[in-house]
Amino acid sequence: MQTQAGDTAIRVDNVRKIYDTGREQTEAVSGVSFGVERGEFVAILGPSGCGKSTLLMMCGGLESITTGRIEIDGAAMTKPRASIGVMFQDSSLLPWKSVLDNILFPIRILKRDMASHEERARQLIDMVGLHGFEDKKPHQLSGGMRQRVAICRALVYDPSILLMDEPFSALDAITRDEMGEALLDIWEQYTKTALFVTHSIREAVLLADRVLVMTRRPATIVEDIRVPFSRPRARDVGETAEFNELCGHLRSLIETGHGGRRPGDGPVLQPGRRGS
Amino acid sequence: MSVAASEGPARVSLRPALVKGWKRNLPWMLPVGTALATLLLWEIVVRVFSVPQVILPPPSAIGAEFVRIMPLLLQHASQTGMESLVALLLAATLGAVIAGVMASIPLARDVLQPNLVALQLIPKIALAPMFIIWLGIDSSSRLAFAVFLSFFPIVIAASAGLAQADETAIRLCRSLTASPLQTFFRVRVPFALPHFFNGLRIASTMAVIGVIVAEFISSRVGLGHYILYASSRMETTGIFAALLMLCIVGLGLFGGVVLIERLVRDRYLR
Repeated sequence: MQTQAGDTAIRVDNVRKIYDTGREQTEAVSGVSFGVERGEFVAILGPSGCGKSTLLMMCGGLESITTGRIEIDGAAMTKPRASIGVMFQDSSLLPWKSVLDNILFPIRILKRDMASHEERARQLIDMVGLHGFEDKKPHQLSGGMRQRVAICRALVYDPSILLMDEPFSALDAITRDEMGEALLDIWEQYTKTALFVTHSIREAVLLADRVLVMTRRPATIVEDIRVPFSRPRARDVGETAEFNELCGHLRSLIETGHGGRRPGDGPVLQPGRRGS
Repeated sequence: MSVAASEGPARVSLRPALVKGWKRNLPWMLPVGTALATLLLWEIVVRVFSVPQVILPPPSAIGAEFVRIMPLLLQHASQTGMESLVALLLAATLGAVIAGVMASIPLARDVLQPNLVALQLIPKIALAPMFIIWLGIDSSSRLAFAVFLSFFPIVIAASAGLAQADETAIRLCRSLTASPLQTFFRVRVPFALPHFFNGLRIASTMAVIGVIVAEFISSRVGLGHYILYASSRMETTGIFAALLMLCIVGLGLFGGVVLIERLVRDRYLR
């Protein structure tokens, strides 16, 4: 469990974010610290408005950091980098571009070789089950399909770290589960370092190696829980008693608003040993 | 269940073929039919009530006059059409550049936007004589006035379009380390193009209005001049023939804009 400095892909150190509107100051994130190992899938779980998206955007260099420090691959995060892929809540596909051209959009922006990446794009399209939809426009796709395209777009330029901001929250429950599985398939194949923000307890436990629980007041991480299920994750893991017990524990944490602990305060909680 | 499913399509397959043929042509048949019916009604009313030609000539007389003075009308129309086209091109360039500057520089937007909206409220037609005073009676004053009239819809539409680009798409560009120029031309401009062309379509009619009004005041050629000349001689049929020619000029300009929009959509938006 002890990580060496070299293994750490993301290092968040006592980060605060204060929005200053001139009249008043709002603390969106108050003193958050955690680390993500290379190849690890970490979910930040919290109610809406707890600052988790802000935290993620700071990791992507898309929001300024008020105080504290975020290091990615050993270098301080000050502005966006091409080694970090970001997926947003909204697929935000460009409506005039076909599925294939949307996926190749990052390649165009980064001025990389189009021909070789087109092959990769087609592989990704097959993988998320969109074969035959390459030339369709976004308005011809369902919400779930659009988010699949967004996954491909985030992966096509091969970033080593993937930041995802509630990417499936706009989808219905059934599509959402499907998307989770599609994401697992891809992630298990490419094993990117992933930081995934969500307000769905099930989603967090299904997907992640570790769940960081964030609360609104204080807007910080109150618990750091290792998910005990092995990889590749069994698709029916969601039906096990252990899974539901862990979800129940997380729910009570979010409802009470605080776990009374901070990450690093003690040994990581094992859900199997919980008495309450 | 299975019987109904197999019977259903077989029974309806005959009629839709006929109905479909009708329905497919309905979008153009309805408006064209309405226009023709109106012309017919006009003709009948004028003939039945013996309306004098000087008040309202029948469409048939206008058509005959149109053909008779065609060479003269074409001469005037080429002047009016050319000036409208140049004015529209100038207005499009000016409007796009100003909208682009306003979208890229917040200070410029804060300074210009309210003033543009305020200027929009002036009845700009009333300023036509001022342009003659400032720029004289040659083509430059007519062009300037037509540009002045037609550039507002372009600038307003284009800057609205540029501001309407999907915020997440712009964030995506930032996360991809896109340069401001890349973001502008790859995301903002494509999002703005439909709005820009809406503005351009409105402007194409405004440009013609601008040139005609300026011709009313100062010109010795052009359809505006001809209409004024014909009206001074009570040649109502000639006025209508000139109006018909004016419609063709306006349609040509409008059609050109639509054509360019298609071209841009196919080439640029890929």
